[in-house]
Amino acid sequence: MKNAKFVGERKFAGVDAEIGNRLIAMKPRVAALRSVRVALMQLAYALAERPASAGFLVLPDVSVTPERLRDEWRLASSVLRSDVLNRLSICTGEAEHLVGIPQDPDTETQRAISDLIAAAGPRASLSLARPEYPFTVMELLVHQWLLGKGPMTTKWLMETAGCSYPTVATVLRRFEHCLVRHSDRRVQLRAFPKEEWARLVAVSEKARGTVRFADRSGQPRSPDSLLLRLQHQDRKDIAIGGVVGARHYHPRLDIIGSPRLDISLHCPGKTADMSFIEKLDPALARTEKRDEPASVIVHLVRRADPLFQTGEAGLAWADPVECLFDLHEARLEPQAREFLNSFPTMKDQM
Amino acid sequence: MRLVSPATVLKQIAAAVPEDCRENIIIIGSLAAGYHFFGDNASLMVRTKDADCLLSPRIEAISAGVAVTERLFQRNWQFRPDAKWSTPGNESTPDDQLPAVRLNPPGVPDWFIELLTVPESPSDMNKRWVRLATSAGHFGLCSFGFLSLTNYQPISTPFGIAIARPELMALANLLEHPEIRAETMSGLIATREIKRSNKDLGRVLAIARLSVSRNEDALLDWPAIWQEAMQARFPDNWRSFMGRTGAGLRQLLNRPNDLDEARHTCEHGLLASAPPTSEQLRLVGLRLLQDAIEPLERSGR
Repeated sequence: MKNAKFVGERKFAGVDAEIGNRLIAMKPRVAALRSVRVALMQLAYALAERPASAGFLVLPDVSVTPERLRDEWRLASSVLRSDVLNRLSICTGEAEHLVGIPQDPDTETQRAISDLIAAAGPRASLSLARPEYPFTVMELLVHQWLLGKGPMTTKWLMETAGCSYPTVATVLRRFEHCLVRHSDRRVQLRAFPKEEWARLVAVSEKARGTVRFADRSGQPRSPDSLLLRLQHQDRKDIAIGGVVGARHYHPRLDIIGSPRLDISLHCPGKTADMSFIEKLDPALARTEKRDEPASVIVHLVRRADPLFQTGEAGLAWADPVECLFDLHEARLEPQAREFLNSFPTMKDQM
Repeated sequence: MRLVSPATVLKQIAAAVPEDCRENIIIIGSLAAGYHFFGDNASLMVRTKDADCLLSPRIEAISAGVAVTERLFQRNWQFRPDAKWSTPGNESTPDDQLPAVRLNPPGVPDWFIELLTVPESPSDMNKRWVRLATSAGHFGLCSFGFLSLTNYQPISTPFGIAIARPELMALANLLEHPEIRAETMSGLIATREIKRSNKDLGRVLAIARLSVSRNEDALLDWPAIWQEAMQARFPDNWRSFMGRTGAGLRQLLNRPNDLDEARHTCEHGLLASAPPTSEQLRLVGLRLLQDAIEPLERSGR
C-alpha cells in the first residue's frame, strides 16, 4: 500500500488524500451537521467522477452525536445514486478504533486513515490566532502591581510576553495614563487601574481564548476527581486556576467547592495541545453553548513565560491574575472582589 | 422478565435453604448487582427471571447442592420445565444432558433459582456438568469459564448468604467475551433477540455506571482487586488473561448495532430506572477502559 499522505494539490474539492482507489476527506472537530452534509456531498461529487474509487469522510473529534450522524446518512441515502452511495462511508472514533457508517472500514483502510490522522498533527490540537499582546502586557503590569513586585523593564515585559520592543512600546503608550515611568526607564502601574481592569475583564474570555468542555455521559466528574486525574498526566504546560487556584493564594476565600475546573494551558506557539482533555475524561466534549454547564474550562496562556507557580503532587498553579479572570468569567463577582482585595497592595485602592 | 425486589428474593432464598448451606451460597448476576446497588431501596426493583446461586467451595458444592435441592422440593418449590426438560433427569441421563436445578418458589412463576458451581481447577475453562442425585430426580450442576472469580471475597448479607462483588462479576464477563460472538440468548429480551456477548458486556457497563453513581472514582480501584482475584484464581496464567481483558469491550464500543443491543439489555435490566443513551453507554465504556482496563493491561505486560 502507498504511504498515506495529504495531497499537495487537491484534484477534488473537499478531498484531502487519495490513497490507491480511496478518496479521503478529513474534517477534524466538526461541530455542525451542516459541515458534515457539505463534506459528504463534495465527496459524492468526487466519487461520481471516479467510478472505481471508494470515499471516506473522516471526522476526528466530531461533536455531532452518532445518532445524528446516522440520521444524516439516512437523508443522504435517500437522495444519492446507489452506485455512488455504495462506495461512500463516514468514519468516526479514534485513530486506532474507527467506526464506520454504514460499515466499518477494512483493516487496510483503517491503517491508511490512522496514518492520515497522525500526519495531520497531534490529536485534539487547536490552531491559534495571534496573541492579543495589549491584553498580555496589561495583564503583566497588573500582575506585578498586585504582587508588589515594583517597577519592571521593557525588556522584562518583552521577554515575558514574548513580543517585540515596538509592540510593548505601543501598549505602554496606550496605557500611559496608568503608568509611572522611573528615571531608569522602568515602568509600573500608578495604582490599580480600575477602568482598564474592567475592560480587560470584559474581553478576557476572547483574549485568553477560553475553551469550554461539557460532560456528555450524564455523570459529570467533580473538579476533585478531574484534578486527581490531571496529577497523573505530568504536563508542565498546565496549571490550575479558577476557584481552586484562588483558594491556593487566598485560603479564606468565601466559597465552598466549585462546579467546574479552570485550567490554564501554556501555549506560546501557534497550536494548543488539548490531548490532555481526553485523558482527563473521555466524556468531555467541547461546547460553544454559553448556557451549557461546563465541567472544564481551559484558558490559553499565550505569553512566553506562563508565570506558573510550582505546586505539589505534579500540579502547578496559574498566576493570581489568571485566577482572578477565571472568577470573573465564572460570574463569581463577590469572590473575585474578595480575592482582589486580599492582596496587600489593594489596601485603600477600591 | 419480571420486576423483583432484590432484598425480598435474597431473604426468600436464605429462608428456604438449609441453614448450614447458607454459607455455601453466593448470589451472582443481576440480582446480586441489584442488591448491592439498591438493595436498601425497596422501591427499586430488578428485572430478572433467575436468581443464580453459586455453590462454593467446589469441594462442598455437590453435598450443598443436593441438600439445597432436597429442602426446596420439601418446601414445595417447583421444577421449572422448559422446551428440553419437562421433568428432572434420572440415573440413565448422561451428565452433560442433565437439566439444571431451576426451581420456582411456591406459587411464584416470576422468577426461579438456578444452582451453579465454580470450575474444579484453574485450567478447566469449559462448561462442565456434575451430577446431583436427589430424591426428586437427577440434575446437573454447571460450572464454566471465569465463574471462580465471582466467589473471590464475596460480600455478606444480613440473610446469611453472600453476593458476588460487582466488579468481579464485571471482570468475569469481560474475560468470558474477548470478542462479540454470534450466539444469541435463548429467549428474547423485551421483544428483541440479543447476542449473549452484548448482554453480558452490557452488564459490565451497567455495573460500571452504577458504581460511578455511588463513587465517581470507583473504577480507579478496580485494577487492584481484579489483579488480586486473577492471581488467586489463575496462578499460572493470570498475566495472559490480563492482556485480553478489554478486547471484547473495545469491539462492542466500536460497533453501533452491538452497542445498541447492550443498551437495550441495560434499559430492560439494571439501568431500567435511568436508562442511558447508546452514546452515554459508550462513554461509560471509554471511562472503564481508561480507569480500570488499561492500567490492568499495562501491569500485565
